[in-house]
Amino acid sequence: MASFSQYVVKETTTNLWRNRVTTVAAIFTVMVSLFLVGGSLILGQGASNAEIKWQQGTLVTVWMAPNATTQEIDAIRSQLNAYPYVHDCYYQTQLQDYEEAKHLLTPTELSVLKPELIPSSLRCVPNQPQDARLVIQKFTGQPGVQYVTAPTQALKNQQRTIAIAQWSVLIIASVLLVSSAVLILNTIRMAIFARKREVAVMKLVGATNWFIRIPFIFEGLIQGLIGSLMAGGLLWTGEWFWHSRAASWAPDTLGSQMLLSTWQLIWCELIVIFLGMVIGSIGSAIAIRRFLDV
Amino acid sequence: MIKLDHVTKTYKNGTIALDDVSLEIEKGEFVFLVGSSGSGKTTFLRLLLREELPDRGTIWEAGRDIVNLPKWRVPYLRRNLGCVFQDFRLLQNKTVFENVAFALEVIGRPKSVIESQVPQVLDLVGLSHKRDNLPTELSGGEQQRVAIARAFVNRPLILLADEPTGNLDPKISEGIMSLLDRINKTGTTVVMATHDKALVDRMRLRVIELDRGHLIRDQQRGVYGIEADAGAPR
Repeated sequence: MASFSQYVVKETTTNLWRNRVTTVAAIFTVMVSLFLVGGSLILGQGASNAEIKWQQGTLVTVWMAPNATTQEIDAIRSQLNAYPYVHDCYYQTQLQDYEEAKHLLTPTELSVLKPELIPSSLRCVPNQPQDARLVIQKFTGQPGVQYVTAPTQALKNQQRTIAIAQWSVLIIASVLLVSSAVLILNTIRMAIFARKREVAVMKLVGATNWFIRIPFIFEGLIQGLIGSLMAGGLLWTGEWFWHSRAASWAPDTLGSQMLLSTWQLIWCELIVIFLGMVIGSIGSAIAIRRFLDV
Repeated sequence: MIKLDHVTKTYKNGTIALDDVSLEIEKGEFVFLVGSSGSGKTTFLRLLLREELPDRGTIWEAGRDIVNLPKWRVPYLRRNLGCVFQDFRLLQNKTVFENVAFALEVIGRPKSVIESQVPQVLDLVGLSHKRDNLPTELSGGEQQRVAIARAFVNRPLILLADEPTGNLDPKISEGIMSLLDRINKTGTTVVMATHDKALVDRMRLRVIELDRGHLIRDQQRGVYGIEADAGAPR
């Protein structure tokens, strides 16, 4: 067993060194493609993190008409407090809403805006983020209500943008993954041709098929593994850089909300490493099947 | 040790390499396989190596039906066979010692066995002093001795030699022949395909002659040519 391990290590190292140029090319292609795959995974996980944070902070705003009477406001407030899908509500006067608008609007827009033109509002936290839709349906068109809003559309838009980015990266990564497998296949094919005479002798003296195949399988596996470890290193560095920058960002920015926990990052890294080994094995398996006559 | 029973082998292009050949070779025999080019000698050896399968008939080797042997068992069959070729088939990037050791390494023999058996067999073929040389630094005769050492290092029951003296001059061929004879004396059955008339005539051992796939002669103490007075057919 020890001599077999020594043999496999020796032969695999020799093969990798003999075809070092194609080996390096294959490793770098694996690295780039897996970096993109990992990036896409991180993007997807980050989007999911941000979505949870957004949903946790979802507020339904019932905007009262500027001319709504106090009775109408009180009636809506009572109905909201009694509504089973609403957790809690608070009232913002026209003046409070005007103060808030000051932070959001430009001076030109503000110059034409008067507090009495601004609707007062009832800000409600639904029991569940998805209950926001029910609150909108129930209170839209009620007497004194101008309109009801929740950031659902903005959420959808952001989700869509992230999904498009994620799919684009995944498609590019898939093409590169196939290229990596083909490059690994080519490296193994060259190794098989370089050792054709040796393989013929091995067959004649009674080496088993697996004994002949294993160094080639390891060669592909190692290329995939090295490429994936390099991709994992790059992803880790990128995430670390993101974390260190995010420390200075406000907690409600997209960049901060998309940050991954250490376990989420480890999980993405493990997937990347596993994929690297799978690509390496597939590349060598095809090469062995097609070019190694045992 | 070897038994062919009505063996026929036809290649895809229609060439009949062997046609209904039946024969038996006993343990410890030395057999010359003669015949013109294309007579079926190499196919005969390839069938014994299980590199080819016959279309009809059965082949028994060391008590095993090798035609119906599962593919995964073939390497284990070959561990009982040694092979020597006209072109030596040595690995140019390995030394003499490494070439011989390779045959043991790839069947998983431990290092201690390799280190004791390789020097012994190099001593037998007279190449102990060249153990660290590369094949390119050896003469043709020496390279063939290395090939024989590699074939014999695992102490096979049968040694198959396909024109081992084909590339060598008569004097060197004599040396190779005497080496094969010594190996045969250890109890190994030797089947040697050859065109070397002088060698066959001098040795006066069993001769099997093939002609276009047919077994046309099987003589004990035979000579190369059929016209010679070589004793009665078996």
